[in-house]
Amino acid sequence: MYDLILFLILLVLGYVFGQIAEKRHFRSIIQREAELRDVLCFTERNVPEMGRIDSALVCGSVVISIDFFKKFVAGLRNLVGGRVSAYESLLERARREAVLRMKAEAKARGAKSVWNVRLETSSITKDASQGVAAVEVIAFGTAVTPR
Amino acid sequence: MSAYENPQIPEGINVSPTHPLKDFALLLGGVSALIVVAVLALSFAAGYLVRFVPFEQERALASSIDADWLKQSHSADDKRREQYLQALGRQLAAAMDLPAEMQITVHYSSDDTVNAMATLGGNIVVFQGLIDTVDSENALAMVLAHEIAHVRHRHPIVAMGRGFTVMLALSALSGVGDGMIQQWVGSMGMLPMLAFSREQEEAADADALQALLRVYGHAGGAATFFEHVAEQSALPEPPALLNTHPDTDARIARIRDFEQAHIRPDELALKPLPDFVKSDKTDGTDPD
Repeated sequence: MYDLILFLILLVLGYVFGQIAEKRHFRSIIQREAELRDVLCFTERNVPEMGRIDSALVCGSVVISIDFFKKFVAGLRNLVGGRVSAYESLLERARREAVLRMKAEAKARGAKSVWNVRLETSSITKDASQGVAAVEVIAFGTAVTPR
Repeated sequence: MSAYENPQIPEGINVSPTHPLKDFALLLGGVSALIVVAVLALSFAAGYLVRFVPFEQERALASSIDADWLKQSHSADDKRREQYLQALGRQLAAAMDLPAEMQITVHYSSDDTVNAMATLGGNIVVFQGLIDTVDSENALAMVLAHEIAHVRHRHPIVAMGRGFTVMLALSALSGVGDGMIQQWVGSMGMLPMLAFSREQEEAADADALQALLRVYGHAGGAATFFEHVAEQSALPEPPALLNTHPDTDARIARIRDFEQAHIRPDELALKPLPDFVKSDKTDGTDPD
């Protein structure tokens, strides 16, 4: 019985704080995306001819942890299959945050564009069934600054 | 570079628009319902199939039971009590149309638990606590006949078969999820099993009343033990769904109805218990 009460408390805590963190994060992402809109990102490998340039590797990485609520819902989803919407929003936040950090680094160098942008995702604490999992997304590319 | 622009992309392209709580409620409800249905189906199937296990097989299985009441060192008094209980058990069993191969073995335990129970292989245990509670042989016979009825319907092995099957299935299922899911799966899976054995109790009550009627000519005194239990439990009872035994009030009412329906005023006398079966702890006043 006490196990169940503890479990429900954890579930409620996970939901409340997880939702607050997620809403706040999305607001911040949308605001910073607007600020960094002038830095253009391309997946094209070859930088086109644009005169004399400086180039540098820029990257941004972020680690986001799941909360207890998301973990439980995803666990239930594992039994029946389908879209794990609890994790979709998590990965969306991680991808956009990683790109933002990469763009911020590019802008700090005075770059106007980033070429050959790649994203990679890895899961931290992948097999620890008791531990709370976290996801890392890293974005990297070549920042190009006209000289 | 001026050929390129960076428009604002609408939100919510990569995320399903469902509200997390709605998702949660749907999943939890759906999975719980699935588990309950699966456990019901499995336990029904197991309960059906396990009846085909021959009774000798069940007896062999029961010989591995390692319980206190089987190896208790009996004093001479205890032996007398056990013999009395066995004679009473035989008398009742004879009135209950048991299958030929089915043997009832009544054990006596000097423990003061107010109970009796039936287990695998036709073994029935009667505790001294129960004997001290009842005031006539009829009342004791009602409880004993109830346990014999359980054996007759093969409830002990059905319960065991169901228990094992459900346990196996739930542990297999919870292996798919993780610790938290396991807990949930476990608590959902136990509900239908409790409900099932309540039906068995009712069937056993009905059989026991018939046996009492055949042996004594009336069913007087049958409700004594249950009335005693009702008096003792001053605490409010848990809701019927969570309780293995039928709601005591409903049960007493049913037994009383039966008594009334088969009343024969000339034969209503209750048969007293022999003096030696009561423990020394009670004052042992003359039952007459």
